[in-house]
Amino acid sequence: MELTENVLEIRDLVKDFPAVRAVNNVSFDIKRDTVHCLVGENGAGKSTLIKILTGATLRSRGRILLNGQEYSPRSTKEAKQRGISTLFQELNVVDQLTVEENLTLGIEDTRFGFLRKTDKVNAMIGVMNSLEPSINPRQLVSTLSVARKQIVEIAKAVATESDIIIMDEPTAAISESEIKRLFAIVKGLRDKNVTVIYISHRLDEIFELGDYVTVMRDGKHIETKRVSQIKDRSELIRLMIGKTVFEEYTAPEGGCKEAILKVEHLSNRKLKDISFDVHEGEIVGFYGLVGAGKTELARAIYGVDECDGKILFKGKKLSPSPDRVIAAGIALVPEERRSQGLFTILTIRGNVPVMNMRKISRNGFVNSAQERKVTLDYIETLRISTSSTEKEASKLSGGNQQKVVFAKCLFADADLLMLDEPTRGIDVGAKSEIYGIIRRLSREGKSIMIFSSELPEIMNICDTIYLLYDGRMKATMRNGCDIDSEKIIHIVTGGE
Amino acid sequence: MRAETKLARTHSLGSRMSNETFITLFMLCVLVALFAVACAFVPNFYLPRNMINLLTNNWYVIILGIGVTFLLITGNFDMSVGGVIAMTGVLSVYFCQGAHVSQNVLANGLGLPYVVSVALALLCAMGIGAINALFIARLKVPSIIVTLGTMMIARGIGQIVTNGAQRNTSLPDVFGTLGNMVLPGTTIKLAVLIMIALVVFGFIFEKMTVAGRRMYLIGANAEAARLSGIKVKRHLASLFVLSSLLAGITGILLASEFKAGVSSRATGYEFDALVISLLGGVSIAGGFGSVLGMFVGAVILSVVTSAATGLLLSPDWQFTLKGVVTFAAILAQRFALDKRKG
Repeated sequence: MELTENVLEIRDLVKDFPAVRAVNNVSFDIKRDTVHCLVGENGAGKSTLIKILTGATLRSRGRILLNGQEYSPRSTKEAKQRGISTLFQELNVVDQLTVEENLTLGIEDTRFGFLRKTDKVNAMIGVMNSLEPSINPRQLVSTLSVARKQIVEIAKAVATESDIIIMDEPTAAISESEIKRLFAIVKGLRDKNVTVIYISHRLDEIFELGDYVTVMRDGKHIETKRVSQIKDRSELIRLMIGKTVFEEYTAPEGGCKEAILKVEHLSNRKLKDISFDVHEGEIVGFYGLVGAGKTELARAIYGVDECDGKILFKGKKLSPSPDRVIAAGIALVPEERRSQGLFTILTIRGNVPVMNMRKISRNGFVNSAQERKVTLDYIETLRISTSSTEKEASKLSGGNQQKVVFAKCLFADADLLMLDEPTRGIDVGAKSEIYGIIRRLSREGKSIMIFSSELPEIMNICDTIYLLYDGRMKATMRNGCDIDSEKIIHIVTGGE
Repeated sequence: MRAETKLARTHSLGSRMSNETFITLFMLCVLVALFAVACAFVPNFYLPRNMINLLTNNWYVIILGIGVTFLLITGNFDMSVGGVIAMTGVLSVYFCQGAHVSQNVLANGLGLPYVVSVALALLCAMGIGAINALFIARLKVPSIIVTLGTMMIARGIGQIVTNGAQRNTSLPDVFGTLGNMVLPGTTIKLAVLIMIALVVFGFIFEKMTVAGRRMYLIGANAEAARLSGIKVKRHLASLFVLSSLLAGITGILLASEFKAGVSSRATGYEFDALVISLLGGVSIAGGFGSVLGMFVGAVILSVVTSAATGLLLSPDWQFTLKGVVTFAAILAQRFALDKRKG
């Protein structure tokens, strides 16, 4: 078979989800035996594109040519057979088996159901030795570091003659020296006739590693360029965020209020020495990319994860347990709506009062008339669209589900609300309604902390913005006319 | 605007029947249908005396079913209840038997007063519940594993104390009172009245109290419950202790009825309690179910077994029959729930 110049050609690719077009008419080529980087903000459509390539999801429209031939995988297995392997963030190795067994897993040679040691095994071990001689094939995979497990997976992909290896943020969980080793291996893959599609939020890596880079934004293809033709980080950042029009932010009136929450030198496994204050009626935003420590910070304050350091709320130390934190006056809207926030098999009425049952009960008995009234009140004020208080939460749309979670937290009568990704996965209309609710709460004197990986959201409503990178607080800014989104992106992608 | 709001309110107030009510009614219909079929084929099945028997002769499984149902609602199993019955019964006898009265070791006990013996035996039952609570709520071991273990430990204690048999001698007369007491002028036992009272309390608890509500919340989503400030561990622990206490009460009543502590008593009751809960529509995944449904499930099982006996079906067939009915009923439930439009 004659080899085409482009290993992969993507033409007019579209992927629609119920409320949103995640991939919008994307077309670009990937040249053979190169390292091709894919960048974009959260929600730019990278993950969906990768899912289509690996067969995890089906496209709505468009064509993909792999080695010049039509390619539309229905499963990751089919993708692998056609020559596209993927190094997911959650690695695909079996800890309890040896390196050798992992390499041949699923492609073992057998005779009468018994394993057979063949040349194939030796060939695979050979490939692995050429990548990293210090890994012993008889070693248990559980004894390897994350970086070495990645190498085992890369070896398997190379030995099974993959044309393309997709790497999804491979450096997110490995150390500095291991990153260097990984880069050396990735660079060497070109000579082994492997094309790498490399996804990372760390922009420096792209300049070090990439031959080409494709930038995506809002589901669209913005540009594909040789990395050598890109001047610097800021050019890349400009391509990534474009001329995003932010809704007008207006600073609140009134002067300095008292600090309601003081966090000093907070540290744990993921957080490194974080200190800040939240004032009465203030909306504070915490912005950072995936893995920067936003959720971990919220969970530490809420008493779910252990941490060192001092947390003072209204001048008193917070006990590290959600029920006491709620009693003190803090409520959390968690990151994962369905698995952490909502009781999906229960009705709206079953969900709304749970954080403050005392308000609708007497001597331990529930007053169901009051319960129903409270639920109806929230359905009205938050405009939850439902036919009845008795509708199961699972049957509501994403936006309405999130409003039920909000209602739950509002009913707790908290003075400080922590909102982790408050608008993730909900449509534009519901989004702006939720922003309206947040602004109203702040006017009523409630303090609000927003943890978000969407920059427009942070710049739209927050008075103070904290930037997180790798578990550290990198910068603090007051929102206003002089705020600079390019600078923000520069900081949260690891720039100084 | 005001009028519009008013309208919306009255409209929303006309709420639909909950899935739980739907399933309970559905199983009630199944019960009536099975009863009608049994009446047509089994002589004298329709007599009031028989009907009362159907409702009451399963009292011990129903008392167990209350604790088992509550735990299923939280998403947990309790397989230790049968063992706890045996242990509590044996211990209550052992504590109460006269000390140093005979050469026979199985005739000698501790010679404690009856009330003290019962209290101590119930305390031991709650101790098993506390072990369950410790391992499941605090150490996060799956409930099925822990309670299978305590099931064997509890029955094992019964076997050690009885040398693998039973204790039934040198007991004071008062020992046999509780289990053989009847409502004056009827044949209805005290145990049945206790069962009815417990079912009523159970229903009030699950439907009207805050603690009952939290039970459903934990079963529906334990993580969300914790993040909503519910003390999940404490709730689970109390329910495991409650379930063991209910099994203990059953053990005391059965030991009193037969004036004997038998180590093989109540073998397999944990499965019966599980089966009637599932027949009554309790979800094995948690967050859904009711003791009232469980009660209906118990009567269904009772109708099936007693109809089988009435038809002179060999007892060897009863297990298979129970199995088929359980299977069919639960399939029918799933089917009915799926058909029901959201």
